[in-house]
Amino acid sequence: MLAATDFQIPFKKYTLKNGMRVILAPDNSVPVVTVYVIYGVGARSEEKGRTGFAHLFEHMMFQGSANAPKGQHFKLVESNGGNLNGSTHPDFTDYFNILPSNKLALGLWLESDRMRALNITEENLQNQKEAVKQERRLSFDNQPYATAVVDVWPQIAFQNWQNSHSLIGSFEDLEAATVDDVARFFKTYYAPNNAVLVISGDFQEREARRLIDAYFGDIPSQPQPQHPDLSEPAEVKPRTEVSKDPLAQVPAVIIGFPGPPRRSPDYYALAMLDVLLTGGDSSRFQQNLVKGKQSVIQYEANLGWPFAAFTDYKDPGHYAMFLLYNPAFKGSQVVQHAQEELEKIQKEGVDAKELNRVKTYFRASMIAQLQSSLARARRLGQYELLDGDPGYINREMESFLAVTAEQIQAVARKYLTPERRFILDIVPAPKTEKPKK
Amino acid sequence: MNKANLSLILVVFAMTVSCQRIDRTKPPQTKDLPAFKLPSTFETTLPNGLRVVLVEDRRFPLVTLRLAFEGGSKYDPKDLPGLAQATASLLTEGTASRPSKQIAEELAEIGGALQAAAGPDGFTLQGNVLAENLPRLLDLLADVTLNASFPQDEVQLYKKRRTQELIAERSEAAFWADEKINAIVFGAHPYGRLNPTLESIARLDRERLIQFRDSRLVPNNAVLILLGALPPREETLKLIRARFEGWSKKDLPQPPAPEFPAPARQIVLIDRPGSVQADIRVGHIAVDRSHPDYFPLLVANTILGGGASSRMFMNIREKQGFAYDAHSRLQPRKTGGLFAAVTQVRNEVLEPAIKAVEDELQRLIREPVPAEELNDTKNYLSGNFVMGLETQNGLANQLATVKLMGLPDSYLETFTARVRAVTPAEIQAVAAKYFSPEAASLVVVGDASQIRATLEKFGKVTVEKAQ
Repeated sequence: MLAATDFQIPFKKYTLKNGMRVILAPDNSVPVVTVYVIYGVGARSEEKGRTGFAHLFEHMMFQGSANAPKGQHFKLVESNGGNLNGSTHPDFTDYFNILPSNKLALGLWLESDRMRALNITEENLQNQKEAVKQERRLSFDNQPYATAVVDVWPQIAFQNWQNSHSLIGSFEDLEAATVDDVARFFKTYYAPNNAVLVISGDFQEREARRLIDAYFGDIPSQPQPQHPDLSEPAEVKPRTEVSKDPLAQVPAVIIGFPGPPRRSPDYYALAMLDVLLTGGDSSRFQQNLVKGKQSVIQYEANLGWPFAAFTDYKDPGHYAMFLLYNPAFKGSQVVQHAQEELEKIQKEGVDAKELNRVKTYFRASMIAQLQSSLARARRLGQYELLDGDPGYINREMESFLAVTAEQIQAVARKYLTPERRFILDIVPAPKTEKPKK
Repeated sequence: MNKANLSLILVVFAMTVSCQRIDRTKPPQTKDLPAFKLPSTFETTLPNGLRVVLVEDRRFPLVTLRLAFEGGSKYDPKDLPGLAQATASLLTEGTASRPSKQIAEELAEIGGALQAAAGPDGFTLQGNVLAENLPRLLDLLADVTLNASFPQDEVQLYKKRRTQELIAERSEAAFWADEKINAIVFGAHPYGRLNPTLESIARLDRERLIQFRDSRLVPNNAVLILLGALPPREETLKLIRARFEGWSKKDLPQPPAPEFPAPARQIVLIDRPGSVQADIRVGHIAVDRSHPDYFPLLVANTILGGGASSRMFMNIREKQGFAYDAHSRLQPRKTGGLFAAVTQVRNEVLEPAIKAVEDELQRLIREPVPAEELNDTKNYLSGNFVMGLETQNGLANQLATVKLMGLPDSYLETFTARVRAVTPAEIQAVAAKYFSPEAASLVVVGDASQIRATLEKFGKVTVEKAQ
């Protein structure tokens, strides 16, 4: 097996006078450059009565700024052969522009113009409220399992409202949002000192630094925003709920356990345990549940599931899994099957051969995931924002590969017990039942 | 004036001194993209007809491979849609010497992955591995390709799982919409069957899978592409010869060649009670990549609905707010292809939304595309093409497509130039041929009790059930 240090992503990090952090990660092999900006605000920053606001605001970021009127951002990036998007997460919101490398300045101009002076108007807000509502209808209300995952599961898994409220938001709250809310949110959270800019791919460092200074250097900083308390009560009460889903034809169950603090030794051990359980075709779930017992049809699992992964969640997060299951079984049986897999590890531990295999599989997939300039930019920016150190991109592999069989057994015993388990069984509703409007 | 604003003025002043050249009011002027050459490829053919393509790419300590056969779902027998797909899924589920679990474990041990997939025209094994373990991945590749045994219990399990998956897929409106528009546009041609049925899955058996494998997975019908941090060329070729030289050549049956139906407008409503919105497809037969109309059609389709600056997106989503998603697709096959405009709208705006789609189709036929919009679209296509080459998978997919579809070797090198050469008149001509709303068919999936009357305003409607 290769050593953890054989594959490194070179990067440099520095901070502008206004507090904006900059990460440069050059790779000149393909003439493509990614300009990525990540802000330290997400759906968990929302206030009561304003659920869905972080996402609504992300839409507003595409409605034009002082020198790049509405529609220009999309048009200029796409008409220059690039690609762009934004996405809202529980703990951050990010925006990327992938461009032919001669267009680096364009990406920086566009991102700095909206960070400096976003166009916030009543008309844009109304228009984007409609777009977000339509997105909800399409991506959530009309999709099996989606409302259970987005609206119901967080209420079961979390007690603190900041974590348990619907991250896509209610129509009522979206309607209530005002232009003042948008302006305040922009000023508070979209300041350079609450952002990280990453440039990765084909660029020259000197030119990039010069352009970054010129475009971003004089955007004024703001008081550092207060982040809400996300802590959950120390005592965990297990819960089991059932959700009826008129769009689902096959039942599914979500099982989750509150996880360890990010970057703690237990975090690395639980992440490796997840790979052992669910990573690839040789994983225990695939071999024992999909094939052996044939109770599970498809599964996904992660630390930070459903809105994040072990790479980009922020505490508190759960180790959670979504199991689409064979209707010949009851939800409780499927939960039992999954728990038996956890118990095996709690009782018998893991042998060296299996652990080695899991580590090699994990290492190869982590390298494979970092091939595009966008993937590298995201990872660097997210680690800076969530961990305060993008260097984890090169260092973390050592910690993952150092996990021992004993540590895996210990985290299985400590975290993955029925006493601290949340369950949501999603069952197809009778056909006569009409979905909510 | 508060303190924050004062500090802003000071910072601005300091910056203007050091960076006078920046004019923030206009998009920055930039130099042209320097010419970029694709990584060079080495090609050879083994005596048994297996074509081999090697591409050096040392950015990552990984190797990506494709073993691609002409032989996808268009070779499914009429009574057995889904056979190619099932053969692909089960190919890595056991060989004469390795049970399924051992294959999975060996792959994980080498930091590798290997799976097969069948599309309409191609049957492709794709794999990747930590570079130093390439020999072991090639062992596994050769073993599953030559010696897959389709164990009875794995076949049974596949049938059960595929049945459940199909039931789950059928709960989604898009499944019905895509299936129907394919069926209408391609008619009796095998391309018209997009999915297996519950009955065809039940009919699958070991013998049919072996038959399919034996008829299509032969060396003279295949290309092996290895891309990444490869050993020196002679060593790589030695690894390949050692594993594939003994694989015997075989005559191939002729591909099916039924005609596509002449385009004739049909309107089909697929009833999905409880749907909160209507999923729309406007579809028409299109052409393959070798056809002279292909590049004009590619550009026309991108102007219509390729990305967030496209006409459908700007009109249906941004201007009218009817939908979150509005786009169009061009899916070239080895022969022919499918064009479809796609959007999902709330029931109340179904009528204006369909009209908006049809208006955009008409506009491309009626009016020449303005020079700036055309240039922007060409940039978009060229840029996306380069972006697709950032990853080993991206480049491997491009190379595999060229080989599978029988395109000239210059296809990738000349792609950008051919996009650039498209004229407004060519776009109008292909729009008239492939986008005419009078000839395109309309499929809507939604709650018939809510939307049937609306849809009937567009012509005679056939109602089917989503079940």
